[in-house]
Amino acid sequence: MNDLRVRLSQNAALLTAIVVFILFYVFYNMNHPRGFSVAVLIQNSNEVFTLAMVAMAQTVPVLMGGLDLSVGAIMTLVNTIASHLLNGSPMQIAFGMVVSLAAGAACGFVNGCIVVYGRIQPIIATLATGAIFLGLALFLRPSPGGNVDDDLSWAATNDLYEIAATYGFAQNGEAGWFQPISWIPVPLLLLVLVAVLVWLPFARSVTGRTVYAVGSGEGAAYMSGLSIDRAKIAAFTLGGFFAGIGGLYLTLQTSSGNADIPQAGAYTLNSIAAVVIGGTSLLGGVGTAIGSIFGALILRTISFNFRIFEIDPLMQPLFEGTVLLAAVSLGAFRVLRVKNTLELFR
Amino acid sequence: MFNFKRAIAPSALSLMMMASAAVAAPAKVAGPGFDPGCFAPWNSEIGYFQWEKREGPHKIAIVNGFVGNTWRIQMIQTAKAYASQPDIAAQIEEFKVVSTGTDVAAQLGAIEDFINQGYDAIVTIAVSPEGFDRVIRLADRNDVVLVPFDNVLDTDKVMQVNKDQLEMGRMYGRWLLEQFGDKSEGKILEVRGLPGNSVDRDRNIGFHEVMDASGGNWDIVEVVGNWDDGTAQKVTADAIAVHSQFDGVVVQGGTTGAVRAMLDAGHPMVPLAGEAENGFRKILAEQADNGLKAISIGQSPGMVSVAMKAALAALDGQVMPQLISIPIPSTRYDELEAGKNYWPDLTDNFFTVNEFPACDVNITAREIMTKDAENLE
Repeated sequence: MNDLRVRLSQNAALLTAIVVFILFYVFYNMNHPRGFSVAVLIQNSNEVFTLAMVAMAQTVPVLMGGLDLSVGAIMTLVNTIASHLLNGSPMQIAFGMVVSLAAGAACGFVNGCIVVYGRIQPIIATLATGAIFLGLALFLRPSPGGNVDDDLSWAATNDLYEIAATYGFAQNGEAGWFQPISWIPVPLLLLVLVAVLVWLPFARSVTGRTVYAVGSGEGAAYMSGLSIDRAKIAAFTLGGFFAGIGGLYLTLQTSSGNADIPQAGAYTLNSIAAVVIGGTSLLGGVGTAIGSIFGALILRTISFNFRIFEIDPLMQPLFEGTVLLAAVSLGAFRVLRVKNTLELFR
Repeated sequence: MFNFKRAIAPSALSLMMMASAAVAAPAKVAGPGFDPGCFAPWNSEIGYFQWEKREGPHKIAIVNGFVGNTWRIQMIQTAKAYASQPDIAAQIEEFKVVSTGTDVAAQLGAIEDFINQGYDAIVTIAVSPEGFDRVIRLADRNDVVLVPFDNVLDTDKVMQVNKDQLEMGRMYGRWLLEQFGDKSEGKILEVRGLPGNSVDRDRNIGFHEVMDASGGNWDIVEVVGNWDDGTAQKVTADAIAVHSQFDGVVVQGGTTGAVRAMLDAGHPMVPLAGEAENGFRKILAEQADNGLKAISIGQSPGMVSVAMKAALAALDGQVMPQLISIPIPSTRYDELEAGKNYWPDLTDNFFTVNEFPACDVNITAREIMTKDAENLE
């Protein structure tokens, strides 16, 4: 019992984010003209997936106490790479996916090496590398376009039934055992898989714990004999990998590549917002990538509501900002319960 | 909800199986289309679409991308003013406008959301010329009329509305040549728009095409003004400082700034072709007697109302061209009339061209600016 209470209090920010998301999302669906349906769920998870990935990408360096300004650029670069490779035979497509994800991870690795061996602040290092990645993206796709396998992009952006129907397994999706899961949107499933198969093992590994330790106090982590350099490089590489997944999915979603610079910037900024809403401290050491997923969900759900309610189009940014500020402020409530303000300075 | 899903799944399956065979909602039919005066086909090779006629009133949504420059804001206000005109309001049951920013995933999401909400038509300015295959498929499947305009898509699968940017460039060239008379050489300043944008590219190509074809010896100096008053003013001032004098000027956008730079530098007033900003027309009205013989040609934010009208016509079961070319409205220096095609008491940023008589679209500047006033309250 006592253990549960400790766990709850340790994850208060994450729980707040989950509760806020559920409130927003239920509210959206209750007011949706056609009510909740699988089509709405598919659409919502499609729209959220890339941002959720980029937010996870941002979380890892933030946990370490740094900001990564290149996550949007890595996503864009991978998008342009994938738009050249995702076609042809199944083997070629699989190869293209591996290359795209590897490119994302490589970008992150470069960031990590520059931060560790160049001894440059992450925010400045990634500002520079972000510009380089965007330059490469523009080089690969001077104008938007690309040729992505139709079946794949359709199947990946729908529910499991469409995958089965497209690739002809489980009796084209009609098999009895398949029915209970056939409605699950592919992006939602991917999101859960990435969180469970990539993030959780990482966070529990020594390297993952070192990332947290570096964020809490680099000096203490060093004195404890942890391998700080390795953790930093691993953190940026994992960030690049997550951003790469986001870019790959964006390619499938749009069946094209576009070196869109304003869009890359928007994703980077939104990823930071999602990280903060998800309860990760910008000072480092506290938080989780799962929270950032919910942060991204909250960000998107706010704008979902613009499509249902009568809000003046020119007032929408103001409204969005106000709701965002309120959501972020929820995390500040703990200040009210602090007995000694010195505690805030840790 | 599951029944609904299953009901549409087989059609999706067949769509998947025959990637090329269209099970799309609009029938491909032969021309000529409805009201060709307003909905002019882009060229003679354009195909025609026909949707099944359905009873109004309809639900219409506008999914804008970027918001933040005057043109986009005026576009949104025009859309609202048009939707509230009595004969249009009678055909619309619900009308919604959202701006998604420069994020293509969010724009695709918004379009898909409106499809799920059961909207009949969705009018959009695409953030990217590519990447809309999925929503086009969904729109066809759910019998929704999707109408991209202004920044259109590189596809012939949807009905789109735009102005012929090449032709606009040619109009610049023809105007200058007409003003030059029998002069056959000279230096011309061309203030271009946002680099890399198809609109900038096409206007430039059209302009050069006409100038080259004239056979004259024209020295064309190109500078980049980003369609922005401030930038255009700066680069024009720089160009005048370097080249001292031009025989003619072409400005794609930010004309008010470019002409101000000419006035500031004491540059003589020469033939000019520019956009349709109110500020430019105000100066033009004052300076025409001093030799500023100019034509003002506009990419109007009012295009949104033609796109809306096209959507309504499509919902009414009319035969529509796949790519609709909107007439390019132009006003010569000697046709300016205060309160009619420019407004001395309105701001410089206001885009003057909002009426399309051929389409029976008559939204006055007052109506748009009144909408503005309401928003500020």
